[in-house]
This record gives sequence, C-alpha cells and structure tokens, in this order.
Amino acid sequence: MTLRRGNAPGHPRIPGGLARAIRYLGRYRRIALAAYGALFLATGAQLMVPQLVQNIIDAVTRGLIATRVLELPASIQALAAERLGLSLDGLTADRNGAESALLWAGILIVVFAILRGLFAFSQAYMGERLSQSLAFDLRNDLFAKIQRLSFSYHDRNRTGQLMVRATDDVEKVRLFIGQGLLMAVQALVLLTGTLTLLLFTNARLMLVALPILPAALALFIVFGRVAQPLFEKVQRFLSSMNTILQENVAGIKVVKAFSREAEQSSRFSEAADRLMQQQLFVARIFSFLFPFVFLVANLGQALVLNAGGRQIIQGTLTLGEWQKFSLYLVYVFIPMGMLGMIISQMSQAAASARRVFEILDAKIDVGNRPGAIALPPIRGRLRFENVGFRYFDSGEAVLSQVDFEALPDQTVALLGATGSGKSSIISLIPRFYDATEGRILIDGHDVRDVTLESLRSQIGIVLQDTTLFSGTIRENIAFGRPEATQEEIVAAARAAAAHEFILSFPDGYETPVSERGSTLSGGQKQRVAIARALLMDPRILILDDSTSSVDLATEAEIQEALRRLMRGRTSFVIAQRISTVLNADQILVLDRGRIAAHGRHADLLESSEIYAGIYSSQLLDDAKPELASMEA
Amino acid sequence: MFAGGPHLRGALERETSRPKSVGATLARFGTYFKPYWPQLLLVVAFMLAGTWAQVTTPDLIGQIVDCYLTPAVTSQFSGGPSLPGLPSSAEATQTSNCRFPEALQLTTNAERMAGMGRMILLVVGLYVLGAITGGLQFYLMTHSGQHVLKRLRVAVFDHILRLSIGYHVEHEAGDTMSRITNDADTIQQAVSFALVQVLSGGLLIVWIAYNMFTRSVPYALVAMSVLPLMVLATTYFSNQARRAFRRTRKSIGSVNADLQESIAGVREVQAFSREAEHIEAFREVNAANRDANIRAVAYTSALAPTLEAFGYVALMLVTAVGGLAILRGQDFFGTTISFGLMVTFLGYVQRFNQPIQQISVMWTNIQSAIAGGERIFGLIDTVPDIQDQPHAFPMPPIRGAVEFKDVWAEYKPGEPVLKGVSLSAEPGQMIAIAGPTGAGKTTIANLIPRFYDVSRGQVLIDGHDIREVTSASLRGQIGMVLQDTFLFNDTILENIRFGRPGATDDEVIAAARLARADSFIERMPESFKTVLGERGAGLSQGQRQLLSIARAALADPRILILDEATSSVDTRTERLIQAALEKLLAGRTSFVIAHRLSTIRHADQVLVIDEGKIVERGKHEELLAQGGFYHDLYMSQFRRQESSLAPGGDGRGTMEPSPAG
Repeated sequence: MTLRRGNAPGHPRIPGGLARAIRYLGRYRRIALAAYGALFLATGAQLMVPQLVQNIIDAVTRGLIATRVLELPASIQALAAERLGLSLDGLTADRNGAESALLWAGILIVVFAILRGLFAFSQAYMGERLSQSLAFDLRNDLFAKIQRLSFSYHDRNRTGQLMVRATDDVEKVRLFIGQGLLMAVQALVLLTGTLTLLLFTNARLMLVALPILPAALALFIVFGRVAQPLFEKVQRFLSSMNTILQENVAGIKVVKAFSREAEQSSRFSEAADRLMQQQLFVARIFSFLFPFVFLVANLGQALVLNAGGRQIIQGTLTLGEWQKFSLYLVYVFIPMGMLGMIISQMSQAAASARRVFEILDAKIDVGNRPGAIALPPIRGRLRFENVGFRYFDSGEAVLSQVDFEALPDQTVALLGATGSGKSSIISLIPRFYDATEGRILIDGHDVRDVTLESLRSQIGIVLQDTTLFSGTIRENIAFGRPEATQEEIVAAARAAAAHEFILSFPDGYETPVSERGSTLSGGQKQRVAIARALLMDPRILILDDSTSSVDLATEAEIQEALRRLMRGRTSFVIAQRISTVLNADQILVLDRGRIAAHGRHADLLESSEIYAGIYSSQLLDDAKPELASMEA
Repeated sequence: MFAGGPHLRGALERETSRPKSVGATLARFGTYFKPYWPQLLLVVAFMLAGTWAQVTTPDLIGQIVDCYLTPAVTSQFSGGPSLPGLPSSAEATQTSNCRFPEALQLTTNAERMAGMGRMILLVVGLYVLGAITGGLQFYLMTHSGQHVLKRLRVAVFDHILRLSIGYHVEHEAGDTMSRITNDADTIQQAVSFALVQVLSGGLLIVWIAYNMFTRSVPYALVAMSVLPLMVLATTYFSNQARRAFRRTRKSIGSVNADLQESIAGVREVQAFSREAEHIEAFREVNAANRDANIRAVAYTSALAPTLEAFGYVALMLVTAVGGLAILRGQDFFGTTISFGLMVTFLGYVQRFNQPIQQISVMWTNIQSAIAGGERIFGLIDTVPDIQDQPHAFPMPPIRGAVEFKDVWAEYKPGEPVLKGVSLSAEPGQMIAIAGPTGAGKTTIANLIPRFYDVSRGQVLIDGHDIREVTSASLRGQIGMVLQDTFLFNDTILENIRFGRPGATDDEVIAAARLARADSFIERMPESFKTVLGERGAGLSQGQRQLLSIARAALADPRILILDEATSSVDTRTERLIQAALEKLLAGRTSFVIAHRLSTIRHADQVLVIDEGKIVERGKHEELLAQGGFYHDLYMSQFRRQESSLAPGGDGRGTMEPSPAG
C-alpha cells in the first residue's frame, strides 16, 4: 500500500512475506474497502473540528470587535472601521451574525464529532474483522498444511516450534496487517492532510514547527528500535527464571532428596536479580527517552505558540487560527508516534510472515502422484524389492537391499537391536516415508502408485506408545472409521478386551479421554488402540507387541486380543516376546539396516549366529537361573 | 490527543480477579514497600510537581492571551491617543482575567512580544519540569516496585522449596507455577504502570476540576458536563469488552489445544487418514475463535471513538458557551469569561480524556494485582508439614541401621496407607520391597528421607528418631534413584554434580564411570558439556536412569533408596544399569522398590507389602517355597520376565524412527 513507496530509511519496501500476507486480504475485499473507506471519512471529519473551533473563536472575536466599534460615538465609528479595514455594513453583519455563526459552527462540531465517532468505530471494527479473518485463513492453511506434511518434516520440526508459528507468528502478522497497516495509512493520511491544511492557512507559522518534525520522527523510530531488543532481553531473562522455577516445582523431590534447597534458592535469586536489573535498565532508558520524546513535541507547541502570538500582536493572525494551529499540531505528533511504532514492528512482522510461509511452502515429500489410482481391496501380499532408505536425502543408509515377501495372512516378526532398521521397515509400508531405492509392492501395486488414503485405510497400526485424542472413548475407537455403529464399536472393544474396563467407568463409552489420555492407564490405552485397529478391519497389520507393565491377567488378555487381531491378516510385528517369535511365519533379523538372517525360529537358531545371540541374551539369560531355582 | 492506544486492548484482554481482603493485603504490601519509603515519598513529590506543571500550562497560555494578545487586538482599533472615548487598555483589565496588571499597561507591540516571550519561556520551563518529574517518577516507582517484586518472587520460591512433598503432590505444578509467573506479572504491571497512572490521572482530573471551579463555577460545570458521560461510556464498554474477552480466552484456548493435539498426534492422524476431518474440525474451532474476537473488539473499537466524540463535544461547549458569554458582555452567571479563560479551559478539556480511559482500565489491573498478592501471600502463609523441630540436631554420620517401629502413615486423614509396619535393616543390607500397585511400597521409601511424617510409630536411623534431626543433615546422607529421573536444563556435568555441588569435574566423571554412563556420554556431541533439553529430552529412559545413578554415586550416601523403572529399556542399557547398581549398592543400606527379578533375588530381605501391611518377609527362595502371597505375586509380576523376551529391540516403540538407525 502506501508504505510501499517507502517512508522510513532502511525499509524501502514491504518485505516479501508481508506483501504476500497482504494479498490474503483480497479475499475480504469488501471488508477491506469498508475499513479503508471509513478511515478516510473518519480522518476527514477529524480534520474539520479544529477549523470549526477556529470559526467559533473568530466569530466571537469579530462580533466582539464589531460590537465595540459600533458602540463608539458615530463620529469615530468610520475611523475605527477604516483602521480595521472593514466597512460599517460589514461590522454590523459581524455583530448581528456572530451568535448564529457560533451556533452553526457548534452544531457542525457535534455533527462531525458524531461522524468521526461512527467512522472511527467502523474503521477500528472493520480493521479488526479484517485482521481476524486473515488470522483465521492463515491458521487454517497452516493447520491443513501441517496435517498433510510428511513424517520426515515432522521428524525435523518439534511440536513446540510449529505451535509457535501457528500462534505467535500468526498473531504478529495479524496485528501488523490488520492494525499496523491501517494505522500507518491513517497516520499518513492524517499527517499529509494536516500538513497541507497548515501550509495553506499559514505557511509562515508552519515553517516554524517544521524542523521539529523530522527530529520527532527520528526519535520515534529510535524509540521503537531501542525498545524492541530491550523487551526481548527482558523476555529471555524472564523465561530463564521461569525455567528454574518450573524445574524446581516439577523436580521438587530430587531437590529435597539431595537437600539442594539453598543452592537452588540462590540460583533462582540470581535469575530474579538479573531480570530485575534488566527491567531497571529498561526503566532507566525509558524514563529518559519517553519524556524526552514528549518534550520535543511540546517544544514544537511552544514554538508555534510564540510565533503565532507574535503574528497576533502584529495583527496578521487571528486568535481562532492560532488555536486551530495548536489543535492541528497534536494531529501531527500523534501520527508520527504511530508511524515510529509501526515501522519498528514491521521487521518483526516480516520475520513472522516469512516463517509462516516457510511452512506453507514446505514440500510434501510423500503425496499422491498425479494419476494415482485407488488401491483396490487387497489380499495382503506384500513385497519389498531391494529397498534402500535414508532420511533427509543424505546421511547414512538406514536400510539397504531389504528384499523379502510376505504372503497373505502371514506373520512377519522383526528382530534387531535399537537402530537396526525395524521401525523404518514398518514405516515404509503405509508410506510414512518413501523408499529411496527399490520398491514396495502390495498385491503387485507399487505403493507409490496408489492414493495415500486408499493405502492407509487398509493398514492397521498398534504401537506401544499410543496417542489418544481428546474426545470420548467411543470416538477414539471410531477414530479410523467415524461412521461405525455402536454395535461395531462394542464388538471391537470386546475383541480387544477393553469392553469391561470401559463399562467400569461411570460414563462407559462416553467417558472423555482427558488431555494426554491421563484417565486411562498404559494397558488400557493399548487396548483402546487395539480396538481402534480392529474396527478398521485392515488386511495388513503393523504392531509392536510389547506390553507396558500390567498385571498378569491383563497381560494375558492383551496377548489374546493381539492374537485375535493378527488372525487372518498379514502382520508385521516388532517382536518383544518369545511367543511372537515362536509363532511367526517369517523372522527378519536386522542388523544395521540389512537383513542379517531370515527364516523360521528353528532354522534360525541353527543357522544364524546373530539370531542365536539375540535369543539367548534377551530370553534365556534372565530366565535360566530362575528356571534352575524353580527346579530345585 | 484522543488516541485510544493499543495498550487499551491489552489491558482489557487480561484475566481479572477481585481481591477478598483488600486492607490486609495492602498492609502486607506496605511492609514490603517500607524500606523504600523515601523513594515513594519522592515519587509523590514528583507526581505533585508534574501534575502542577500540567495544570499550570493551560493557565499560563490563557494568561498570554488575556495579558498580551487580547489587548494587542483591541489596540488595533483603539490603540493610540487619537480615539477619545474608547475604553483604555487599563479599563479593559476589568473584563479580562489577566493577573498581571502591569502587562496591561504596555502600549507597544514590541513590549508585548517581549512579555509574551518571557511567559512562553515559563511554559517551556513547565514542559521541561513535567518531563523530568515524569521520568524520575516512573524510574523511582519501577525501582522500588521491581525490588519488592524480586523479594516477593524469591520469598515464594524459597517457600515452595520448604513446602513438603505432600503439598506438591496435592497441588498441580501448573497452579504453583502461576503463583510466581502470572500473579507476579500482574503485580509488576500494577507497580510499574497502573498505580502511577491511576494516581496521577486521578490527581490531574481533580486538580483541573479545582482550577476550573475556582476560575468560574458555571463555566466549569459546562466544561465538565460531558465528564459523567465519558465515565459511563468507559465503564460500560470496558466491562462489556472484558466479558467478551473472557470468551475469547476460552476460544483461543481450544484453538491452541486443537493445534497442540493434532500436531503432536500428526503421525496417528495420517496413519488413519483422518486429515480432512481434523482440518474441518479445526476450521470450526478457529471460526468460533474469530467470531468471539470480532464480538469482543466491537466494544474496544467503540470505546476510543466514543470518548473522542465526547471530547469534541466538550471542546465545542467550551468555545461556544464561552464565545456566547463573551459576545453578551463577558458575564456568565456572575463570573467573567475572557478569551484567555476560554483558551485555558480548552487546554483543560483536552487533558481529561486520557486519564479517564487509563483509570478505568488500570483500576481493574490494580484489583487483579491485589488479588494476585493475596494468592501469593496465601502461599507464603502455608505452613510446611515437615519442619525441623526447634531443638533438632544434625544427624551424625550414618552407619546405616534403619528401623520402622509400628509405623502408620496417611496422605489423607483417616485413610491410612501404612498400617503398623515394622522392619529393621542392618547396615549394608539390601531390602527389596515388593507388592501390588498401591500397596504402600513408595510410601515406605518416602518416609525414610522424611518426605512425609508418620502418623503413628517411629522411623529410626542408627537409633535416632528422624523427626529429631535436621532434614538437611538427614537427606544429605540418603541417596535416591527415582523411577522418573528428573534432569535439569543444564550440562550433563552439572546434572550429575547435582548430587554433590562441591565435587570436582574429575569426581563427576569418575561417578559417571562407576554408573557406566561414561560411554554414552562420550558419544554425545559435546560429551559432558552437552546441554540437556527440557527435562532431559533427547535421552532414552535408560540413559536417564544411568545419569541418576551417577548422581547418587557422586553423593556417596550411606542409605540408598531406589525405585526401579517399570518401563522397558533395551537390553544393552538394561545390563549397564544392572552392573552400575551392583557397584552402587555395595556396602550401603539400600531399599529397592523392586521391578526386576535379579534385584529381588539378591536382596537380603524381601518385604512383601499388601494393603499397607507387611504380609510376608524373608529371602526370595524361602518366600517362594512358602507358596503364599509372594508366590502369587511373583507369578504375576516377575514370571513374565522369563516367559517373554526380556525387553529388547527398540523399546521406545514409537513410529518415530531414530535418524541414527
């Protein structure tokens, strides 16, 4: 907009991010027009008021002078009128018309005050609507984008970071585009309007105050520049103090156990002191800068007061004009303060806008290929063909030359040390990532040739660390199939051995799952997750068979539920227990991203040293002495 | 002059609360401010001087008009001796409000200009005075306010550390946090801005009113007639706005909750192809938030323009009524109105606006600050459950004999968690505590370092009742390795050193070696200097436990309490932990809340707890042979460690692949 032409040194143009954010306003052209239209009208009405005040004062002055002159003896009336450069008729008109001129001007002021109020309200309200609509759009776009960005993106970015973009950054852009820009335009309109009026009415008087203007603007900009980093530093010290506090509240037991109270207290006290010193530093600067800025503005007033006063004494200026001038001067300094503030906000808002668009422009690594077909109902035959995989296009290969085939209804157990590639294999099947080499075929379809939705809806996933969403237990079970009937949901819950504990809650299936699922224990969450997967009735199943600490009976139930879940499906299991390995149709032993051994338990025990090693170290070691003692 | 300012919305948006006992809380604040009374006195003095400068300026400008300008204008047609019959300048004094009669005697414009120049210099002097006093007043207030705030913060923090574990279990961490963060923040706002603004704003209004009334009562009434309307409008709009913003706080809360949940659970959402539904659901919450905000800003948007319009009306009244009076012979219900008085009043009505807005907005801010103070003082006044007795003595070096004599304990009165537990541990023994969840295992562990007091019976260490010794000397000799290892946002080195702050770097490294933590630490990017994220993010459960063991090893306690982790860690780490523990436990009296088979087998005594009582005790094999409660417990809790593969693979079990693998 107007700012684009550049009025601030160092900020020649609106930065790209902001320009793009401004384009969002195009969707709300009518609101934007209303806001900016109201702005012009409101500013116009505002500019009328000092003029009308002048009219009143001048009417009074003229009326008074006329009255005085007309009260003089007739002989010298003419002489006095001549000195004033007025005719007697004019004086009479002044005298008789003074009161009605005054009343009219008074009425007009009220009218303009009301207009000003109405339009200023419309401007503020429409501006706010505009900014809220912009924030609404930005948040929606961000949310949609974040939901669709691939796993690799989310691996690199933390929840907290993305949250900040969607909250703080959007808010900063909103404030700037919705309010800052409007304020800047208003300030410029008011400033140019006022300066033009002043120059036209009395250029000589205006020139007196003019030198103050750039000085004031510079001061305001300095003020904004200085303030921002200072506040940021305060914020930093504040948050580091709060970190100490939070650590001590959350870790109180450790602090007490090691009797570290005194030391922590002095640590906190130091942080609080540092914060205080910074606050005081800011206060010192502000207690100088702020009054100084006002002093400069006031000096402008004093200059005009003096120069105007001299003109009045010389008879070249009226009292009314003089008052008008001092009213208009306020209109000059306020917009400059606003501009200074907005300019200092602009670079921040630009940085925020850039961060927001960085997300919106992020490439979705895994998406539907043009012409992708819907995967037809699958039988469950799955083949890895020489699959290689690395994260982020670089770095070490996480998987290389993985080649195997799972037949429908088979159970494939994955075994290996941390980081051997088990998680990567199962992540490739539903295309959380795309293989970097080779291909993965389901019933002969390359997974990259089918739509994500049709692929993922036929794959069920149960992991040890289950994420549940806020909502009821029923909604969580129906997560993958919201249209499922109550009967289907209950059936799934029964099969997952979850029905009974669900009914033990007062609200049954309608029990809300609180934030982070704290109403449910680990074992319960796991069973809800199993029910969730069961309800989808997937042909391919991916799961982690470890159970969190639950009592034996529950564990048996979970195991049974898992067995039921796996029956008749192609299953991939990250194996944590011996029973899984014993029952698996295939065991893949992974070592550093390669299949080190492949086969059934009995064969592997003989043929694979790695497998034998894992088997004996993870199972027999702990159990052997125990078995011995049992026998004894 | 009539700008509402963006601070307005900020102030209205904030959560407000009302104090219950204003007097008591203010008195309490008073004691905190007491050391700063000379500064506060200066603040008041500067405030008076600054306000005086502000109210005097319009008056001086009025005087300029009446003493120099009006006479000059009149003399344009009446000046000079050639016009007999005209009222002389001296006579005009009666109808002007000029208080400097000698000024009216001036006859030349040059003299008038010089006189006016002198008076404008006075005005400039007043501006300078206002700026200086304003700055000093702000700084001094902030200075004492910040010092008080710091004292308050430290006092609350120290008290939080003094409060017993029981308090912290009962009160959520977030709630305790907000006492220092939010409440202290409101207090800070109040002491650095709100208080000064409300006081000086109030003073300014009163002073202006006084000045106007002493000049002319009827004219003052006219000028101030819009004031009640302004007050009404301000209170109405700001109350409505506050109410509306309360709704926006809720709506933005659900927007953020939705965001948080969907971002954190994005993998699950994609796995179940639920993106479209989530996006749609978010759109609704987001729209509700937009609408709530638009409703709220309708009020804030209305406030400033309304006040501005009233301001113009006041301006009009002063000029129009004053002008009429001047036209009709300057008499207005018995008082004289002159141009100067009109200009003075114009200056005054322009100064009304801001203080009214500020007072109404800031007043609730001050109320909230008092309420915040009330909550903070309430916390400081909470008496800690566990305190050293008046004659408590330091615990002598512990040998390690621990005895429980008929111990009863309860978290809630009337609901005992331990019911008559007696036990005796010889120095150097390892005591395993086993039992179902909720049996009271953790309670026994919590009683030894006196995190809680027994409700009946005694806990003795080397024959001393632990309530008779100082907590610091007791806990200093007891080490704990807790299930959920708490790590600080600091380097690994400092996190281990937490066990004994005086330890040298070499000692810290030696402890890490003993705990077998050195190998993974050395693989970290900056080895021991690596800064751990919040709560030790980036480390696995097992690695965190190793650090915790290192910490305990550094502390070198005589008695060790260990809560074994229930969650699975990978096999390699599991072994490291076992080996580290064996080293750590050797030669110390230890209490282990056992979750591992190997631990329980090596114990000198196994205490089996059920429903707050020790139901069985002895060595593992003896207990197993008894075929009683322990046997059943063993079958359900420990047996599976042999029937299943010991925790292995990548036990984290998330879909998040570790880039290293």
